[in-house]
Amino acid sequence: MSSDSLHNRAAWDRLSAEYQDRHRDFIGQPEPRWGMWQLPESELGVLGDVAGKDVLELGCGAAQWSILLAGQGARVVGLDNSERQLEHARSLMEAAGVDFPLVHASAEEVPLPDASFDVVFCDHGGMTFGDPYRTVPEAARLLRPGGLFAFSHNSPLSMICWDEEADAEVTRLVEPYFGMHRFEGPADEPVAFNLPYGEWIRLFREHGFRVDGLIEIRPPEGAESTYRSAGDTGWARSWPMEEIWRCVKAG
Amino acid sequence: MREGGLTDHAERNRQAWAKEAASYVANAERSWATEEITWGMLGVPERELGMLGDVAGRDVVELGCGTAYVSAWLARRGARVVGVDLTREQLDTARRLQDQHGLSFPLIEASAEAVPLPDESFDLVVSEYGASIWCDPDLWVAEAARLLRPGGELVFLVNGTLLMLTAPDVDPVVPVGVELLRPYFGMRRFEWVDEIGVDFHLGYGDWIRVLGSHGFEVERLVELRNPGRDSGRYGFFTAEWAERWPAEEMWKARKT
Repeated sequence: MSSDSLHNRAAWDRLSAEYQDRHRDFIGQPEPRWGMWQLPESELGVLGDVAGKDVLELGCGAAQWSILLAGQGARVVGLDNSERQLEHARSLMEAAGVDFPLVHASAEEVPLPDASFDVVFCDHGGMTFGDPYRTVPEAARLLRPGGLFAFSHNSPLSMICWDEEADAEVTRLVEPYFGMHRFEGPADEPVAFNLPYGEWIRLFREHGFRVDGLIEIRPPEGAESTYRSAGDTGWARSWPMEEIWRCVKAG
Repeated sequence: MREGGLTDHAERNRQAWAKEAASYVANAERSWATEEITWGMLGVPERELGMLGDVAGRDVVELGCGTAYVSAWLARRGARVVGVDLTREQLDTARRLQDQHGLSFPLIEASAEAVPLPDESFDLVVSEYGASIWCDPDLWVAEAARLLRPGGELVFLVNGTLLMLTAPDVDPVVPVGVELLRPYFGMRRFEWVDEIGVDFHLGYGDWIRVLGSHGFEVERLVELRNPGRDSGRYGFFTAEWAERWPAEEMWKARKT
């Protein structure tokens, strides 16, 4: 495992209980929803109909998404790098009366066979906390031809507008855009990754993906979030703080 | 679009460029006299980027060619080039430089939003600060798709998205700073203080959507960087800014 995956495993094992406590109600809704403002999949239409499809959630946390997709008839596998997160997943699965495989691994090195999924996705998961130079090839390997790779994450713009002192995005460019890749916060925080837009596209294409769409999330006015303050939501009404990539593996 | 005529913004841009044409002559003369293909104000060499590949024997149309120096570069490399521009004064400069350099290719006075050329007659559509920023994206990208043969390529250069968010709306121009001066959501049509012209700029997701909706597959987005270079006489950005943030972007897409 990469040293960042080991670091992030320890960080998420430590953060897990508090994270699930804080966001349990917000992200535990009865229909699939995306991201920091929980916009409904029924409106965004990122994954579409998953019934009968093999779906891998690449960083499932407590598996709120996977449980709902299993309920829609998908054959899901939930992967997470944190054993504590997977313990939460097991209790939610039991409560929901569903069962599917959970895999304890980093999204950078997935112990599952080539071409075994129709959908590989995550909602602020392994595509944030894994190195894209390792995770994108893994997603390509795991998908069947024509398969869908979709993930939400923080936008590159939000990364370069992050002000350490304000502990928030500000209305100015703070960090350089060129060369963005690895973001290290305080020692006990997970390491996060992002790339310039052109580099994401280059990496997708290099691994045989067609770029199908980039959905830049604009939260509705007054949208609630347990992740973000009202001020942050105000920023995100003007500039994309969160976005969803949608790629299709060449057939 | 007015019946049989130009869109309102095209008419405004025609007027704006008719006034500006004289101030672009020196630039045109310099570019025509240069052998190397370079892109944008940053002047990044094509040999470093490889956006075009070998153009010899390919049918190429430049949409919004201005003084047609990009067309000239491609014609010298064996492409069968057609330059399209809306501004007669710019094409006059192009014609004079054609004579001067002994290089001949068709120049057509028309808007890139309604090009009087047949369907599927080109292998490559190129636009460097031409249709790519002066035309409505849905209109000119639709024309590019119509003009290209299946498998044909579209290569275009635009101002960097971050530059458009931070560019002060003042006359005369001052270099861009770091403050986000306008929202990203809804960005499309720009009108500036004391300017007749109208320009168009889209965010990343919107470019991907527009290209996809007109049958293009995105192949590359190259965010230009050329350390030590600023925007020269235009005064839009400093070298220091452009080393940190993308001042210019090039998209390459293929008609499927």
